[in-house]
Amino acid sequence: MNLRFLPCFLLVLLLVTACSQNPVYKKYKTVFKVGDQQEWAAKNWNDQGWKKHIRLIPDGQVYWLRTPIDILKSPESLHPYGIQLDVYGEYEVFWDGVLIGKNGNPGQESILPPEGKMWATFSIPTDLTEEGEHILAIRSSLYYFPDHSGIWGLEIDYYDDLLTDRLIESSYMHLFAGAFLITSFYFLFLFLSNKKEYATLIFSICCFLFFTLILAEYIKAYLPIHYSMHVIRLKTIGILMLGISFLIPFYFSMQFPFPKRKLLLTIYTGVLFYIFLSKHIFELTTNNMAISMWLFSFGIVVFGVYKKMKGARLVLLTILLSVLIGFVTPFNKSLFAGFSLILLGMFYLLSLRIKEQRLAYENSLVQSTRLRLELLKKNIQPHFLMNTLTSLIDWIEEAPKKGVLFIEALAKEFDLFNQIESKTLIPVSQEIMLCHSHLEIMEYRKEISYFWQEEGISPEEKIPPGILLTLLENGITHSMPLEDNSIKFKLIFESSINFKCYTFLTFASRITETKNDKKEGTGLKYVKARLTESYQERWDFTSEPMNHGWKNTIKIYS
Amino acid sequence: MNILIVEDESRIAKRIERMTRDILGETLQSLTHINTLHEALFFIENNALDLVLLDLNLNGDNGFDLLTTVVSESFHTIVISAYKDQAIAAFEYGVLDFVPKPFNRDRLEQAFNRASTKEKTENNKIKLLAIKKRGRIQLIPIDDLLYIKGAGAYTELFLADGKKELHDKSLEKLEQLLSHTFERIHKSYLVRISEIKEVIIESGSKYIAELKNGERIPIGRTKYKDIKAKWL
Repeated sequence: MNLRFLPCFLLVLLLVTACSQNPVYKKYKTVFKVGDQQEWAAKNWNDQGWKKHIRLIPDGQVYWLRTPIDILKSPESLHPYGIQLDVYGEYEVFWDGVLIGKNGNPGQESILPPEGKMWATFSIPTDLTEEGEHILAIRSSLYYFPDHSGIWGLEIDYYDDLLTDRLIESSYMHLFAGAFLITSFYFLFLFLSNKKEYATLIFSICCFLFFTLILAEYIKAYLPIHYSMHVIRLKTIGILMLGISFLIPFYFSMQFPFPKRKLLLTIYTGVLFYIFLSKHIFELTTNNMAISMWLFSFGIVVFGVYKKMKGARLVLLTILLSVLIGFVTPFNKSLFAGFSLILLGMFYLLSLRIKEQRLAYENSLVQSTRLRLELLKKNIQPHFLMNTLTSLIDWIEEAPKKGVLFIEALAKEFDLFNQIESKTLIPVSQEIMLCHSHLEIMEYRKEISYFWQEEGISPEEKIPPGILLTLLENGITHSMPLEDNSIKFKLIFESSINFKCYTFLTFASRITETKNDKKEGTGLKYVKARLTESYQERWDFTSEPMNHGWKNTIKIYS
Repeated sequence: MNILIVEDESRIAKRIERMTRDILGETLQSLTHINTLHEALFFIENNALDLVLLDLNLNGDNGFDLLTTVVSESFHTIVISAYKDQAIAAFEYGVLDFVPKPFNRDRLEQAFNRASTKEKTENNKIKLLAIKKRGRIQLIPIDDLLYIKGAGAYTELFLADGKKELHDKSLEKLEQLLSHTFERIHKSYLVRISEIKEVIIESGSKYIAELKNGERIPIGRTKYKDIKAKWL
């Protein structure tokens, strides 16, 4: 299967994209100071006394950050560098004392409406990016999240590249997400057409969650988000992660069932919720959830491999590959690469199951045809046909009028057979008619009086064709008549809320047992196969000798 | 003749019975009908019979168990069965004839003729001889058999490995079954033709057949001409 090469291909692709070129800058430690002096923007300001951290900057006070940066390589002419910042708050950006950008209104947040965005890119004038030391100063205020001071992300590169790279990256990721969206829809429809297949539904939901996760992650490239709203995005990501982290191992647990499944899944869910609720450092939460998901899935799949379950080995490979990717790429990339690998593994499993189902279906068709043939064969198998014909010849030679009646009885049985041969369920009254005509024939052949009794039959109840007939045939062949040269049969029907029960009794003297009696005959196999065909597992069948002859019970559960 | 009919279909059994009486007439001494395997085995053990007419499928049982027992007995067996595909297997076990159902009087008469007139069968399919040994039935491949010596009512089978076994059937009955490969060269001997190396004429017009293993078996004076004709 080509799917085997896909993970490898994906891995190569990711490694190529992950190895970007060397950075053009080197960033040093940022220092903080609450207060507001325009001189703090200057390149040569002495910030020796400034703090390394400030935990809280309440009431939207203005504070300053100063970060020394070395430019390692001057930009090409006409090609200015830019700086991309991921900073909470509304702020102004100074480069070597020169104001290069403004993102909102620092210090006036409580008065003015929210302005500015989380991820902002500013161009740096070419004359300020010579090789050597520079200073990045930010004048900021944190009215909405006073404990989120500091620079969360910083990137310096050609200004144009900074803008375009991000768009290119997110457009690729959106293509990627689209694939999962389509997959999700496809499997949703597949589920809707066969509502018993929960695995397809779970896979569909996983794909959809993954699609939204990618969207939530890359939405920042084109949708400006004010820092006060950013928590919504992070919470969304957290919830999506929670869903995915639960569903993937849940899916594997369905495909590779293991002992104490419910208990372990409950514990796992507990762990996930603990991680989700305990800390509010979102990146870490996501990370922990991803790791627990990975560990739990890994455990399940290893169990699957140990039990030699189908497809487990390839899935294990994808899971191991995903961890390998986790080592060589940054977290946000490995998260998506790893997830998509695992989703591919799930996809593979699903395709295996679909294949199995198709084979099972084809098998059931074959089985149905076989049963139909089996039913037809009853009347042309030599034992029935030749013995009947021999008797018939004899009747015609010896008592032609009786011979005609015999032929009529035979015609009736053939006619009934024609009516039922292609059906899987028939009214019990029809089956009883078949038994009657069979008894009539056997009376001519065996010259034994057969009696038929019924109790509690509801004529419209459906049963598979030929099963009572088979039991009747067994009753005839395996028993000797009573002293009055008769064999009696009795069919009793009982029904309750939970089940319907047919009891078929033969009253006769039994033939001395031989060793062949212990072996299950083709007749009983036919009965069982017919019951399975129509009721799957929901039936019971017993056949046992009794004092007066033989007792068969067929129980069909609703 | 003493005849046993083993058949579980009453109407068919009656038909066989009627026809048998009709065909055999005065020569019939006793005729018994049994419809279960178990009773049939019991009856065979305790009664002297000349012929058994056997249905192979009794009450859903496979009649081959019964078949191996009856073919080891002194009497001939004729199978009457609905399953034509069992004919070959039945012949391999050494039944005298196989009458498929539905049958008519002529076919049954033909079978009886084989039994009563000592007519040789066209059974070239026989592969096994069933013998009774220590209460059990043992099947001997015909290919292992070199020659058979008549010993009163029963016979001695001489095998390729030097062993000797007893069979309940008379030399005449075995000759009927084995006629396609064995030759009656003497009133007491039935020999596999392919085993004869040469025919030696000794003084006093004594004819001896020397087998490939060196054994010497006398050839009957009357039989010599036939054999000579066949050999030359």
